[in-house]
Amino acid sequence: MAVSKCTLLTGPLIKQLLDSVDTVLFDCDGVIWRGNQAVPGAADVIDLLKKNGKRVFFVTNNSSKTRKMYAEKMKTMGFDAKEDEVFGTAYCTAMYLKTVLKLEGKVYLIGNNAMKEELENVGIQHTGTGPDLIFGTPSDWANVPLDPEVKAVVVGFDNDFSYMKLNRAMQYLSNPDCMFVGTNNDTRLPLEGGKVVPATGCMVKAVETAAQRPAQVVGKPSPFIFDCVASRFKLDGARCLMVGDRLDTDILLGSNCGLKTLLTLTGVSTLADAEAHQRSGSPQRLVMVPDYYVISIADLLPALQG
Amino acid sequence: MALVGGRGCSKIRGSQIRELLDSKHNVLFDCDGVIWNGETVVTGAPEVVTLLKQQGKKVFFVTNNCTRPRANYVTKFARLGFTDVGEEEIFSSAYCSAAYLRDVAKVQGKVYVIGCQGVVKELMEAGVPIVDEEAEGAQTGTIYDYPLDPDVKAVLVGYDEKFNFIKLAKACCYLQNPECLFLATDPDPWHPLRGGRITPGSGSLTAAVETASSRVATVIGKPSRFMFECIASQFEGLDPGRSLMVGDRLETDILFGAKCGMDTMLTLTGVSTMEEARGYMDSHDPDSGDFVPDYVVESIADFIEAYEEKEEREEEQG
Repeated sequence: MAVSKCTLLTGPLIKQLLDSVDTVLFDCDGVIWRGNQAVPGAADVIDLLKKNGKRVFFVTNNSSKTRKMYAEKMKTMGFDAKEDEVFGTAYCTAMYLKTVLKLEGKVYLIGNNAMKEELENVGIQHTGTGPDLIFGTPSDWANVPLDPEVKAVVVGFDNDFSYMKLNRAMQYLSNPDCMFVGTNNDTRLPLEGGKVVPATGCMVKAVETAAQRPAQVVGKPSPFIFDCVASRFKLDGARCLMVGDRLDTDILLGSNCGLKTLLTLTGVSTLADAEAHQRSGSPQRLVMVPDYYVISIADLLPALQG
Repeated sequence: MALVGGRGCSKIRGSQIRELLDSKHNVLFDCDGVIWNGETVVTGAPEVVTLLKQQGKKVFFVTNNCTRPRANYVTKFARLGFTDVGEEEIFSSAYCSAAYLRDVAKVQGKVYVIGCQGVVKELMEAGVPIVDEEAEGAQTGTIYDYPLDPDVKAVLVGYDEKFNFIKLAKACCYLQNPECLFLATDPDPWHPLRGGRITPGSGSLTAAVETASSRVATVIGKPSRFMFECIASQFEGLDPGRSLMVGDRLETDILFGAKCGMDTMLTLTGVSTMEEARGYMDSHDPDSGDFVPDYVVESIADFIEAYEEKEEREEEQG
């Protein structure tokens, strides 16, 4: 049935939508918080959803925190969230390697301590984190010793990213049997205040270019991150609502997985962006048009409180 | 035997090579995989260069390799047995990037460089002001508070074995200003070393900066036309129709030759294979034609044979 899309969610429509779903999945940055500031009303929205019997999960492409670290951050910011309700890509990548790729062997890791911890939690060995500086000549780099137990290269957020790490990853990936996984393709970190911080997508792209191979990416919009939640909690996609601020990750994930989608305008994408996709008529862009939008998720409060 | 023209991937030798060369005034050679492999000269290459010059041809060396400045290239040529190659005949992507910034973009301000000493030296030689990364305070700070130079008007990305996250972040910040130029020395995703080994190339670093900045770099090196325009600006009357581009990499050298309107020759002493060339030839993709070399030789040493044959015939005819 053709449904009109990109509709402002207001009045009785809010209750109608909420009644049609059992589960709400929230992106974090730009939706419930911005940097270190909670979006006003967001904590109440989550509380009330739960009081109304909805299950609530948090789905983020950020790979720098374990589920435990996320739960702690959320508590400090006033959100009621348990460890097993949060799905970040450090955890989901470890799960992907374990349950989907069924990895037997070590990981050459370009990543961070959260990824380290999540890999160790599922019993996957890795090559560690931290700086890796250049030494010697190009011949030394091309002949850098490779650990024969490494069966996968995994790339996540790493602010010690260096040419030497790029080189090692490329050398491992010259073996076509070595798997190649990226946590997410986001290009920049959502920081306020002027400085622009490159995100994992840049490092994944550098390795993909040198190795001339594509990575399997776990984070939104890849369906795996939803499968990770859905399989654990037995979710029915048709009874789920995805709430996000980015059309090309959150909304696209929702479309890919058959979820209902709600765009909030407190983050990256604008209403004009959504309407441009809608007018384009192109199938690749139409899937990024949300079913509904709100200015902020606080707009759900009246319906939840009433 | 008549010479087969057009983008036909024709393997030629002997008199066919001679005929081809007789119709050309200029021969442009790539370096890695064509005249040398690392520190090993391709047998016969120095003799070929001398021979071509004796025949009155202009010879140029056009390389994407930006790891050394031109003066160092001159020394390498001498070290490997080339007796008559001058700095003015060598065009590296680093040299051409500096020339572009100074003469084409006419950049007024500083350049933020992600590049090895080979790149930095060419910019300094060309008098292009750069951000001094060695200066006190430049290396301090975390990803949230490092210093930025207000005079930066261009970012140049090249091969940099010291590439790291902070450099990526700084470049990305400078590129937030849409007036700031964004250049890359070359697009090569990896560079070959001897023995089939490879190391990551400038192209992989540029890909990271492009992704972070959501901008596309202007690439100076092959297959972009700019290096040819750089040569033409210094050697008047350089006619692409009378020039032959000889290279070993279909995606850089051969495509470069095609884009500049030159005939192209693939030599099999480097990266690309005959199979790959035929693959482009048989492809239905309309763009693949430009990747197909006109001619193919096993090695440029085959040029020597071409001239010897002619000499032998001339002797026989008395």
